[in-house]
Amino acid sequence: MKAFVDGAAVGLDAAAAAAARVLGAARLPVIAGLGTDVAGARAAIALAEKLRGAYDHLASDVLLRDIDVMRQAGRILTTANDVRLRADCVLFVGPKLFESLPDLPKHLDLAAPPRLSVTKTRKVFWLGASRGEAAQVGATEIAASPSSLPQVLANLRAAVLERKTRANGAQKLVELAAQLKAAHFGVVVCAADSLDRLTIEMLHGLVVDLNEKTRFTTLALGPGGNALGVVQTSGWMTGFPVRTGFGRGYPEHDIWRFDANRMVEADEADAALWISAYRAEAPQWNRRIPLVALAKPQTRFAYPPRVKIEVGTPGEDHDAIEFSQEIATFALARAKNASNAPRVADVIGRIEQNLAKGSEAC
Amino acid sequence: MTLVLTPKVTPPQRLDLSALLPHLLADKSSKEIAAIDLATTCEKITVGDLFRIRAGSAEEIRFEDGSERFDGVGQGLNRGRILVAGDAGINAGRKMSGGELVISGNVGPYAGSAMAGGRLEILGNAGDFLAAPREGELNGMSGGLLVLRGAAGLRAGDRLRRGTILIEGGAGDWLGSRLIAGTLVVLGRAGMSPGYLMRRGTIVLAKPPALAATFVDCGQFASSFPAVFGRFLLPESRGAARLFRAPLRRFAGDMAVLGKGEIFVPA
Repeated sequence: MKAFVDGAAVGLDAAAAAAARVLGAARLPVIAGLGTDVAGARAAIALAEKLRGAYDHLASDVLLRDIDVMRQAGRILTTANDVRLRADCVLFVGPKLFESLPDLPKHLDLAAPPRLSVTKTRKVFWLGASRGEAAQVGATEIAASPSSLPQVLANLRAAVLERKTRANGAQKLVELAAQLKAAHFGVVVCAADSLDRLTIEMLHGLVVDLNEKTRFTTLALGPGGNALGVVQTSGWMTGFPVRTGFGRGYPEHDIWRFDANRMVEADEADAALWISAYRAEAPQWNRRIPLVALAKPQTRFAYPPRVKIEVGTPGEDHDAIEFSQEIATFALARAKNASNAPRVADVIGRIEQNLAKGSEAC
Repeated sequence: MTLVLTPKVTPPQRLDLSALLPHLLADKSSKEIAAIDLATTCEKITVGDLFRIRAGSAEEIRFEDGSERFDGVGQGLNRGRILVAGDAGINAGRKMSGGELVISGNVGPYAGSAMAGGRLEILGNAGDFLAAPREGELNGMSGGLLVLRGAAGLRAGDRLRRGTILIEGGAGDWLGSRLIAGTLVVLGRAGMSPGYLMRRGTIVLAKPPALAATFVDCGQFASSFPAVFGRFLLPESRGAARLFRAPLRRFAGDMAVLGKGEIFVPA
């Protein structure tokens, strides 16, 4: 693992000092990416406060769909374990649900009967699966293209409510609605990645409607790379999810103002700290603002970062606390291939020490 | 005489202008007004740094030019008038409860967000989420009149609860999403899926897209109320008055939710 300033290899201390100079000189620095473990997120958010900057996550667009539905309409949620043990009716919605969680089908073990269910049988349906996906979990497939899902779900919800609609050929949805209503413990499995905000609200409304007569809940899958853990960390540190800024000295949450890409393109952010320790991902923006990157060695940047520090992968190079979607809480991920590659939290700690020595923000 | 603020520099950062309201400036001298901090970053910038101030009664405040970075113009307005001869950023007229705000240029997202009263007129175009609630808020606009002469972005009138929104231009997709009550009129072309998740309330579309199957055709609407409402809108918009004079056809929905809302289209 190496550190670079203006492309030249340097020691970690020199790189941290250079990073502190870049970030400390900014009027409104933005900490973006935030692909890191809990310790890294804590350090990054504390640094944002010290710099009076803003922070955003690389998966914010997806994360905020679920968060917005949660805080404006409400959700009924469960864990993967409950699905495995209790669900006698499972409805998957949307394509590519297991892409970021390849082990989930095994964990759900849908082929086995639900041990704690009165019926001891399980029906599995998949609405709008991509090719071959439904067979993977032995689900009965109900075809729907991704673009038709908003209306298909609206028609399904109307069918559950036994309302009149103008939907032609909705017989399949009427049959599905009857199956859902007959469930003792039903679960909808969905991912914000493949649905838009309003469709997610429609889906959770459907679950609420089903709860009038039976028990129904949702397993909402989030993006990988500890994104949910970063949101929780942000919550306990500032009271807000990601896209929060400290420009005025106190945390303000604004999903439009603190969108890192927008801030950079609109010439509002004048320096950036990019963090992506899980995947070799680079920032999406085009404007070339001074950039400090804590990234994986193989990351390809659109323009050379002023300071680049190669960091280890949480749970790979070092032990890490992450949010585990399998058990729906924080868990320790032991290093699979322990190395001395620096952790994000440690690197940020060094940058912060240099800030304390030198120029304070503003 | 009007209090006039003429920008003398391009804003170096986003500014929060929500402190510049008639009721907040009523007892302030020009010097006190000049000292008000508008910054949203750690770098301070005051009214005096940014504007040339011509003293006058703060009951009417005029901005001689605008900027996409002027956020919160007229936010919390409850009396008097604010005129902007140019653009405004996000949250223009947000949570206003009285008075009048007129913006001659374009505005960013969340214009008229959660407004509860008064009159907001925008001569240019508006960004996404016109009149909508912000993060974690449950209700959008709950009263007053919002007139948009240009076009609106996505999800205009989201969670509208009371009051009237009149859009003379077009509107983006998901217009009137999650509407609870109130009236939303669009004279231009409307994007796909208007009224998605609407519970009650009224949407009137002069140029509608194909409506979703969860909106049920109720046939031609026989009532004298549209003509009455058209007369109410006549001082604001001749186009709107014309739309309400012609026969209308009614669709009830969204049947996926409560189904007590309605979308009117020309018969």
